[in-house]
Amino acid sequence: MSRLLKSIRRAPYQSFAAFLMLFMSLLMATALLFSIGSLYGLLGYVETRPQVTVYFQSNASESEIGKIRQELIDSGKTLSVKYVSQTDAFKTYKELNKDNPLLLEMVTADILPASLEINAKKPVYLPQIAEFLQKKAGVNEVVFQKIIIDRLVQLTALIKTISLTFFIFLTITTMIILFTITHFKVALRKDEIELLRLLGASNNFIRWPFFQESLIFAFFSATSAFLFFIGLFFYFSPFINGYLRGIDRLTINFDWAQLTVWPINTTWLACIYFGILLFGCFTYLTASFFATKKFIK
Amino acid sequence: MIHFDNVNKKFPFGNTALKDICLEIENDEFVFVVGPSGAGKTTLLKLITRELLPSSGSIFIDDVDISQKNFHQTNKLRQKIGMVFQDFKILNEKTVFENVALALTISHLNTESIKTAVHQALQAVGLQNKDNFFPLQLSMGELQRVAIARAISGERKLIIADEPTGNLDPKTTWEIMKIFKKLEGKKTILIATHNTDVVNSFKKRVIVIKDGRILKDTRKGGYDL
Repeated sequence: MSRLLKSIRRAPYQSFAAFLMLFMSLLMATALLFSIGSLYGLLGYVETRPQVTVYFQSNASESEIGKIRQELIDSGKTLSVKYVSQTDAFKTYKELNKDNPLLLEMVTADILPASLEINAKKPVYLPQIAEFLQKKAGVNEVVFQKIIIDRLVQLTALIKTISLTFFIFLTITTMIILFTITHFKVALRKDEIELLRLLGASNNFIRWPFFQESLIFAFFSATSAFLFFIGLFFYFSPFINGYLRGIDRLTINFDWAQLTVWPINTTWLACIYFGILLFGCFTYLTASFFATKKFIK
Repeated sequence: MIHFDNVNKKFPFGNTALKDICLEIENDEFVFVVGPSGAGKTTLLKLITRELLPSSGSIFIDDVDISQKNFHQTNKLRQKIGMVFQDFKILNEKTVFENVALALTISHLNTESIKTAVHQALQAVGLQNKDNFFPLQLSMGELQRVAIARAISGERKLIIADEPTGNLDPKTTWEIMKIFKKLEGKKTILIATHNTDVVNSFKKRVIVIKDGRILKDTRKGGYDL
């Protein structure tokens, strides 16, 4: 630590520039990680909502609906098929309109249609399921959200591409600036490096203080950026809460695990923090490696 | 033991610095390398520290050929050599103690061993009370003594000094040379110098180089410009 303080004292402006650069980059990386995570969570959420809802005519019998339900399950194209009877629909209606007695008085269970809420295994099955249902007797209306999901998938892919491009640009810019700053710092220690070479110091011995400094700067920059982001998040949380009202939980599903991204929790925050910390260490260490390599050569 | 076997050194633009150098320096020997400016003294020393590689011929240190291009032990080799320079090469932002300790840190000694070795080296050059001083607080002679302390600290068996008294007044020159004299028989000492008075008063082995060739190599010789 005393070596780091000495190095900062020796080149205060360069050190401050390095810290600020890394802080800004890591703040942007935090925002990117958070946004991408939330978007994927949102996409996952929408995908788990009923994608096809089929409403039956009031004269459709429960056994007819049950037969269709079984056919859908046997097709192997559905994740789940939920039967909502007229009574269930009425219960939901009552719950939704409990504050409006006028609306409750006007409606009875008989006028609400029974329905099936279907989740497809893949979005590609949605039109096939919809077509199958439309041909069935007793079906009144088939509603499916393919367009919404398709647009969300497209939007996520677009955001992913833009984020990746921006992330690469951010990484390269950060590395070039940190390389230049470190190069200045190395030049300031030219005499010391020359002497160390003559005394028999290895390349790693000469590089180690710069690497150490990179790691410490990355740690402080990542921590500051993270805390600043958390501050911003809590400042804007009423707006975000309003926007995501009604959504209990957003998750990202990996093959090996499930990560909850909403509501904000310590696991997700730890993932973001370690993500930006690794990114900071990687960029600064790489920049230091090339800056010292050029000089040692 | 240092052994030069028919060593030649040519620089890229055709300037020949050393020609057919053959010499042997025994362990713990005290040797002056003398000659006019541009004779090749510094080149000779730089070949030993592997700052330069010979164009042809071989250089052996303790029977190891250090002139091979695939010699990968340069750092280890330099850790065995103590170097003293005309311009001292002392780091201004480090204290006397830290400057001397620098050479030992490279050898990965533990803190206690470093402390002991630094204090011994500073005592040998008479700077035991100035370990917390910064170079800017020291005289030229004291700075060179710090450089010598750095060179003799630890297990360095070979001391190479390139014009160690070149920047010093006559009185300080003698003080510095006295320190080298005290090391006689304990370490191999190789001093490149112009100073005829110093060389003649020491009566040690003198290798005279002129135009890149060894002109004279006398066991207990003197030197006349």
